[in-house]
Amino acid sequence: MNESMLCTKTHEYVLEQDGKYEIGITDYAIEQLGDIVFIELPETGAEFAKNEAFATIESVKAASEIYMPISGKVVEVNEEVVNSPELLNDETYENKWLIKIESSADQVEFADLLDYSDYKEEIE
Amino acid sequence: MTKQTFLHDKHLKLGARMVDFAGWDMPVQYTSIIEEHRTVRENAGLFDVSHMGEIIVYGEDALPFLNKLVPQDISRLIDKKAVYCQLTNKNAGIIDDLIIYKLEEKKYLIIANASRIDEDLNWMVRNKRGFDVTIVNESHNYSLLAVQGPKACELIKTLGVEELPKFFFIKRAELFDINLWISRTGYTGEDGVEILVRNEFSEYLWDKLLEAGREFGIKPIGLGARDTLRLEASLHLYGNDLDENTTPIEAGLAWSVAKDKQEDYNGRHVIEEQLKNGIKKKLIGLKMLDRAIARHGYDVYFNNEKIGIITSGGISPIRGDNIALAYIKNLDNLTVGSTIQVMIRDKLHDAEIIKRPFVAKRNKESK
Repeated sequence: MNESMLCTKTHEYVLEQDGKYEIGITDYAIEQLGDIVFIELPETGAEFAKNEAFATIESVKAASEIYMPISGKVVEVNEEVVNSPELLNDETYENKWLIKIESSADQVEFADLLDYSDYKEEIE
Repeated sequence: MTKQTFLHDKHLKLGARMVDFAGWDMPVQYTSIIEEHRTVRENAGLFDVSHMGEIIVYGEDALPFLNKLVPQDISRLIDKKAVYCQLTNKNAGIIDDLIIYKLEEKKYLIIANASRIDEDLNWMVRNKRGFDVTIVNESHNYSLLAVQGPKACELIKTLGVEELPKFFFIKRAELFDINLWISRTGYTGEDGVEILVRNEFSEYLWDKLLEAGREFGIKPIGLGARDTLRLEASLHLYGNDLDENTTPIEAGLAWSVAKDKQEDYNGRHVIEEQLKNGIKKKLIGLKMLDRAIARHGYDVYFNNEKIGIITSGGISPIRGDNIALAYIKNLDNLTVGSTIQVMIRDKLHDAEIIKRPFVAKRNKESK
């Protein structure tokens, strides 16, 4: 996990990188899900509001919706994890992000996100 | 309050993730459902299924009493033989699915689903009038451990049980100086045994089996893999694939219904009517034609018309595709090879009706 990630209480993270935002789910979420067997991501160009479901991740046991930590427009999707969902469970694999977005989210949208140390406390 | 088996501490020490199942705090996985699944298909797995119910029925009228309760013909059971059957209501709806063992003349052991023990007992008591029979719920006295997989029987044999019971038989045996019952049954499609032991010995037996089984690659297996294993073997799960509004015929269980039984039994007129005139809904096996996963409760479509519902669905770790059980309208043109659709998150996904079981069972060769 990256210390500059901002996390939701529903275990998504957002990480700013070169003016874009990378969005994914936390290591804790991955561990809780167990074996991940299916990932459905949106098309590039799709726009989502904050807290809107943008993806589905299925473990052996159940399907879970993944929500936008902030609003934005999808500019890149991680096809690699779509093709091989089990990569999310692979501790040696680093590119666990799901989508990259462009966002003009204001401070209000960021207000309820937890910084990584607070998130860690939250899940303990 | 959730109940705990006598092996609860063992599961926690093994780092299991625990979930509520039918009111019991049970291990869903120890490491990974897929890994555990493969362990059972390749080597051997140890399951704690102590939540299941054990009911003893004995007395002068034990046989006619049981024959009134289930469509199977219990009179055909020889000593120590077991049979799969269903407890049916007056409309042939399934109250529970059971394994009944004939322990001796006039004494039978019933293994029932954890979630249904109370309903089963209530129903039995309501049907008891006129029968000289005693019904004893022994569920709280016994633990049930399952050892399943291609190496399971080999393991048990090395522990001094030279002759294992044959397929669907039970025998009294001794393991690590503990008196217990071993039956050649299971819920995985693999060869293996289920061991019925008094609670006070279950922890010791669990440890000893894991220790002795190490050279056979034995691992503890949670309920998550138990579910994927039984689905590949197309074994019904009560509450998903069976309920009080479904008959054994609709559930594809006609093979477990005696056709020439003398006694009347609950729901017989419905079962006979369905055998004669056909059924309105039927259980089918599906494989998804894309990577989408069908799950319990999803709707099934054909020609844009809703024709049924998925009752169990998920991945098949062995086949590498996604499979499901569904009830659909019994339309003549829908058979093995037909393509239908499953509605998953507002989109229709193609699925093909295929033969069941999804993965060949390997337990019957031991007959």
